[in-house]
Amino acid sequence: MTVTELKQLLQIGSGSDEAEPSVLTEEVRAVFDETEIARWLRASRKLEQAGYGYSVVRRYVRHSVAVGRLVSPIAAIDLADAVSILAIKSGLATAEKLPPAAERAAERLQNDQLYHAWLGLMQRVAAIAPESMASLLGRMDYLMAHLNVSRLEAWVLAGVRASGGDPERRLRFFEFIDPEAERWLQREAGEVIFADVERRLKIYLAALWDLHNPMREPPVNAPVVARRRSSFDRGIIRLPTSYTGFRGQDAEDLYRAAVAHVGAHLVFSGERYPLKKLKPLQVALISLIEDARVEQLAIRQFPGLRRLWLQFHIAQATGALTAPSLFARLSRALIDPDFSDVDGFVQRGRELFYAREADWEDPQLSRELGGLLGNTLGQMRIQFNARTYVVEPPYRDDNLGLWDFDEDLSQETLEAEQLFDSVRIEQQDEEDETPPDREREEVEEVPDEEQPQARSRSIEVDGIPVARYPEYDYVTGRERPEWTTIIEYLPPPGSADRIDTFLAERSDVVNRISNLINAARVGRHQRHKRQMEGEYLDIDATIEAAISCRAGETPDPRVYGRWERRERNLSILVLLDISESTRDTVLGSHLSVLDLERQATALLAHAMSGIGDPFALAAFCSDRREAVHYYRVKDFSVPYDALSKARLAGLESGLSTRIGAAMRHAAADLERQLTHRKLLLVVTDGEPSDVDVSDRKYLVEDARKAVQSLSQKGVDVFCVGLDSGGDSYLTRIFGRRSVVQIDRLDSLPEKLPLLYLRLTN
Amino acid sequence: MPGRSVNECWNVTNLDDYRLLEEPYYKPLGNEVALFEAAYENRMPMMLKGPTGCGKTRFIEHMAWRLGKPLITVSCHEDMTASDLVGRFLLDVEGTVWHDGPLTQAVRYGAICYLDEIVEARQDTTVIIHSLTDDRRMLPLEKKSEVVRAHPDFHLVISYNPGYQSVLKDLKESTKQRFGAIAFSYPEQALEAEIVSHESGVERGVASTLVKIAERSRNLRGHGLDEGASTRMLIHAGQLIARGVPLGEACEVALVLPITDDPDIRDALSSSIAACA
Repeated sequence: MTVTELKQLLQIGSGSDEAEPSVLTEEVRAVFDETEIARWLRASRKLEQAGYGYSVVRRYVRHSVAVGRLVSPIAAIDLADAVSILAIKSGLATAEKLPPAAERAAERLQNDQLYHAWLGLMQRVAAIAPESMASLLGRMDYLMAHLNVSRLEAWVLAGVRASGGDPERRLRFFEFIDPEAERWLQREAGEVIFADVERRLKIYLAALWDLHNPMREPPVNAPVVARRRSSFDRGIIRLPTSYTGFRGQDAEDLYRAAVAHVGAHLVFSGERYPLKKLKPLQVALISLIEDARVEQLAIRQFPGLRRLWLQFHIAQATGALTAPSLFARLSRALIDPDFSDVDGFVQRGRELFYAREADWEDPQLSRELGGLLGNTLGQMRIQFNARTYVVEPPYRDDNLGLWDFDEDLSQETLEAEQLFDSVRIEQQDEEDETPPDREREEVEEVPDEEQPQARSRSIEVDGIPVARYPEYDYVTGRERPEWTTIIEYLPPPGSADRIDTFLAERSDVVNRISNLINAARVGRHQRHKRQMEGEYLDIDATIEAAISCRAGETPDPRVYGRWERRERNLSILVLLDISESTRDTVLGSHLSVLDLERQATALLAHAMSGIGDPFALAAFCSDRREAVHYYRVKDFSVPYDALSKARLAGLESGLSTRIGAAMRHAAADLERQLTHRKLLLVVTDGEPSDVDVSDRKYLVEDARKAVQSLSQKGVDVFCVGLDSGGDSYLTRIFGRRSVVQIDRLDSLPEKLPLLYLRLTN
Repeated sequence: MPGRSVNECWNVTNLDDYRLLEEPYYKPLGNEVALFEAAYENRMPMMLKGPTGCGKTRFIEHMAWRLGKPLITVSCHEDMTASDLVGRFLLDVEGTVWHDGPLTQAVRYGAICYLDEIVEARQDTTVIIHSLTDDRRMLPLEKKSEVVRAHPDFHLVISYNPGYQSVLKDLKESTKQRFGAIAFSYPEQALEAEIVSHESGVERGVASTLVKIAERSRNLRGHGLDEGASTRMLIHAGQLIARGVPLGEACEVALVLPITDDPDIRDALSSSIAACA
């Protein structure tokens, strides 16, 4: 459509003389009725009059007709408003992309309601992430190939939340530079992704082969081809983030097959083969024979593995004689006794392999047979392209681990990987603009052999990422897995004397608490009388029973008594909020909120160690979801000693309050306790908040969810609120009966231990 | 038979009910039979250490039969008091009457007393065996003002599962050091297959597969499981198979489901079982 035609079109119905109804094509007339045509033209004219330029208007006119045909005339007309909004929020270049994207969306959705949901989503994204709109529209086809509208919405919102209000990070996400984008996409698309099955696979590997190798996803910078197959190298097993095209049980089987196969290599493959001057074709064939050899050995031990592997051998004995096809057929012929192939090469391979069954234990066999078959293939003049070659079937690894490339993967990389495995967390991408601090730079310059210690030293100072927890998004009503990262720190020791001095100053309170402790102390015996069973005869009951007998009545059989110890069976973890707001000075005192928390905790710890309940002390603050700081003041397993006191004294205020993540992490510790009751006592002074969250309700709802899921796991959560104004959200999070507000903050040190005794008796 | 409950046997004076009439099947793993006999000659208190279901109880039954002594077994639990072992006064029409507990019976009339899973019992309960385990060999019945001198045949044996140890449950050092110990573990492959085959009635081939499956679960010890599948579990699975249950299902029922509640471990175990057969 030329500009002139377009101009003419826009004139129609506007009262102008130049109107030329003939430009209304058959298609337009087929889609819209008379009144709709008028509305549609009005919408087009509005776009033109807003000054968006003919390019935008022309695209609208062209694609909206298609939308009208595919979905509904109203949908086509409504598109104009959306174009207008995008033009305002994200600019003309972006607005131009909407109509074609809308047509493709309409093609996929073919449903008025879904289409409108999609269009609404586009307008919302334009409002919250205008800079990313163009990238999003550019990838719409790809996204919609994987996601339906509601999942698309979840994915988009995840991207928006993930970047915490930073437009540049947001753009990285929607540009798919941020690897999270792909991972979230796979997750939303319902693909089985590595992270979901990682633990199972590790257990499977351990059960089958008694191997405990770390498992990883491929590095972010690996080429796409390398990301499609598993791989193993010096103990580290790499598995694809997902196996595209495999879903549900199939995908899980594929992962299992891959792990079983790599395990077979690790157990049966010998020394790496020297690469020397072998051609790529020979390398591929030797690897193929080696795959078959280790699988045969594995099947001898675990016959069921044949079934697992066979389902992925789908090569047929027909088709073109290309190297990949012949390789796949040979692979199948070597494992599948029922597979028959007339091809000479495949037959020869199978004969050679089975003729040497006695030598299967010898890794050199693969070199020998691979070499022979390579010659055969060479004579057949079959082309082999090493660059496009991908091992088949998909469960097999890329075989890089079989070959010695003479490159030296330095020891520390390996150790670094293993270190990270021990904390079970993937390597974080450094996304912060801030340059690495001095400490870390120095570490990297340390010579190799000192690397491990140097690294662990830096952990002491920098903190170590130990776990990831989900976070609940009340908007989508779903938990986002692995959303927050806990970084553990050991608080720098302060002066333990401070704590002791304080205890000495408040000796009155300490004494009062000590008396209460003695009353509540473990191991008090209690006498139970008139029991059906017991250690001794309860004399009163016995006499009564004897009288009953003499009187000819049926005696009460409950004539025993016993001593029972009332055992306290409780562990408690005190979690302190040390966010920036705890730096505030308390009204009418020279102490900060944190000081009061500290004093209260000191008294509480005194009480708890007196009673003998296992307890732990920890503190938290947060700096975005990637860094929820968790300070271990005292663990369950260590005594409450000068060091714990020093750590308590060393806590400092700072950062924000992402309370849900901290509670989940604290509870993970608590859950390992064997006691009957597990109590998490949270002391907080303010509303949950973090710099990457603008929605006030979000963290409150997440914390509420956390409390609920903890109570399902048998962890009771109780909160001491230090902010009398914040009653409502604390009640929302913890429930009315599990919150106590301390209105006069200076009374906290006395009240906390008393509260503890009340709670636990 | 050893399974007989104490209450059915009030005031027995001979312990014939506790004698084993038939030889319990036991396949020695090493020289434990000779070791135990030597210990018995000296009436040295013995401790049988080893994971659950590896044959400790069967061993002691076998030894009791071999030595021709009655065997009184007490399964310890955490509510067990000293009275449950020693005895208590009961009430009857005439007044009170003393009833010996299982330990007192064994001491008085000469039996092997086997305290199964002793760590489960409260620590204040376990100290009452102290006077029986040194050269005093006597049991004071405080409430009855009586001291029972041990019958020459009396022998005390306890079982102890090191896997269960935790800070909360462990034997006192003063208790531990009174015992000699024999360590038990799961038998090596061929032997275990023989045992499974004998006890469950499945063929050797199936039994070997079961043993291979058990090894998979034992690989997970400390990596998600506290304990791998025991020989006892394999026998259970074998018995199901002998009744016509397919191997996979039998293992699911007898092995995977009982051993863990963790869905990931279950999944991995089931997959490993599929790989074994």
